[in-house]
Amino acid sequence: MAVQSDVIDDAGPYDRAKALGAFKLGDVTFYWITRLSAISVLLILGGIIISLIVGAFPAIKEYGLSFLWTQRWAPSADPPVLGALGPMYGTLVTSFIAMLIAIPVGLGIAIFLTELCPQWLRRPIGMAIELLAGIPSIIYGMWGFFVLGPFLANTFQPFMIKIFDGVPVLGAIFAGPPSYLSLFNAALILAIMVLPFITSISVDVFKTVPPVLKEAAYGVGCTTWEVVRSVVIPYTRVGIIGGVMLALGRALGETMAVTFIIGNSFRISSSIFAPGTTISAAIASEFAESDGLHQSGLILLGLLLFVLTFFVLAAARLMLMRLETKAGK
Amino acid sequence: MSEMSISVSAPTVHPGSQPLPEAPAKVTARNLNFYYGEHHALKNINLALGTNRVTAFIGPSGCGKSTLLRIFNRMYDLYPGQRATGQLLLDHTNILDPKLDLNLLRARVGMVFQKPTPFPMTIYENIAFGIRLYEKISKSEMDDRVEKALRGGALWNEVKDKLNASGLSLSGGQQQRLCIARTVAVRPEVILFDEPCSALDPISTAKVEELIQELSENYTIAIVTHNMQQAARVSDKTAFMYLGELIEFDDTSKIFTSPSDRRTQDYITGRFG
Repeated sequence: MAVQSDVIDDAGPYDRAKALGAFKLGDVTFYWITRLSAISVLLILGGIIISLIVGAFPAIKEYGLSFLWTQRWAPSADPPVLGALGPMYGTLVTSFIAMLIAIPVGLGIAIFLTELCPQWLRRPIGMAIELLAGIPSIIYGMWGFFVLGPFLANTFQPFMIKIFDGVPVLGAIFAGPPSYLSLFNAALILAIMVLPFITSISVDVFKTVPPVLKEAAYGVGCTTWEVVRSVVIPYTRVGIIGGVMLALGRALGETMAVTFIIGNSFRISSSIFAPGTTISAAIASEFAESDGLHQSGLILLGLLLFVLTFFVLAAARLMLMRLETKAGK
Repeated sequence: MSEMSISVSAPTVHPGSQPLPEAPAKVTARNLNFYYGEHHALKNINLALGTNRVTAFIGPSGCGKSTLLRIFNRMYDLYPGQRATGQLLLDHTNILDPKLDLNLLRARVGMVFQKPTPFPMTIYENIAFGIRLYEKISKSEMDDRVEKALRGGALWNEVKDKLNASGLSLSGGQQQRLCIARTVAVRPEVILFDEPCSALDPISTAKVEELIQELSENYTIAIVTHNMQQAARVSDKTAFMYLGELIEFDDTSKIFTSPSDRRTQDYITGRFG
């Protein structure tokens, strides 16, 4: 040891500079590896957009903007008539209804798990939620097709149709006849599928609330509900919206389960109990047998889904910024 | 910095130098014991907090000061496995009664924490929030109450032009005074301070100490502190705790000049703890 330390002492500043030089090389390598990884995301994204545009080009040239507001979808007509209104409507409506159901239920589960649940029940419920996220979407599709669809068509749908019969607007939304395959069934399956996202992210962000902040709220005399509503949720707002966005992204793009139970009808009906289709369901059910202009039209649908998702996420960002200004940040 | 300027150079004379007359008890503990699961954290505590007096709790870390404070407003109830036995009275109300309405208790016994804990809302809402839990009052009345509370927290002049800014945008010292104002706004009878100045700079500390003195005219105050000068400056009575026991409880001037227990003597002279 003594000899070695002598050597180092003798070598002094020179060796140290050399050692630092080696570190510098490592830093540069590391910098470039991480940088290339980050850039690859942009390249892949750009590549997908470009190939979608190239594939969709014949359809864009043929239909132009009228693609957006044409409801008719007749690929076997001569010449084929293609319009995206039906799938776009179905995508937005199913996602909207799914979020309407999944957000309150998901947040409710998260609040129960973090604030109210007795210790021994926490793990079973938490694990059940995780398992729910692990079920493949084809299973949801089959279950929706064979079990949930008939059940809803025999019980829930006739009930709602009867209640709202004759009521303006609502009567048209809940109009008959009941159907195994409908927008509502698809939305309900979507709600169940995205529930774990909302719940598990909410649970995680609820746990980040400092206990002392909650104690302070209890300390001025808040009930559990008041603490959750006025302290926990505002404190974790950004995280919750992030979870909701992730869920919405999944709902917009979910394909397999929806294709099974939505009915694949391109006609727009005011009733949510009528069959419909979504962009991804339309692509999944027709792509294999398509060619020429029809195929190009399906690729254009995919491009639309891309744009739609982008705008939804942008709108969510905007909402988040508004909320933050309102909270006085 | 107009009407609430505080001269840091001239510290307030601690009231303990001339002991105030004995005050009627606001909070009384008799044979109070506390358990964290199996751990016996507080042993047979007997003491009384005098009405409109400041009582300081000193002692080394882990001696049970904060634990004792958290029994006064039943904060320990939030956590399973923690329990208290014995008797603890607020006037004639039994604080340990399992059927007691905890929200009402906590309205009567307010608490200020070690770290500032502004709620994630505007300064105005931070104050109005607590008031709204108990009272339905008009907007103009609410404005008055918020202003009064912020004046009570010696913060009004610093924030009156930005009541709609987030409570989190204030400095640490301001946040702590906001929390005190929020506590005062609910009109409690007792205010518990759990090391209120440990995260503050000296100037903010001086302001908070001054505030505690002013508040003691109307409120019964209990303060846990690691700063012995602070205990000497602000309190009328001081309790020295060690290993879960109340070693000595007496007038502040007596504790700091001629303590009767050897362990108190050792602690205040810095020989242990």
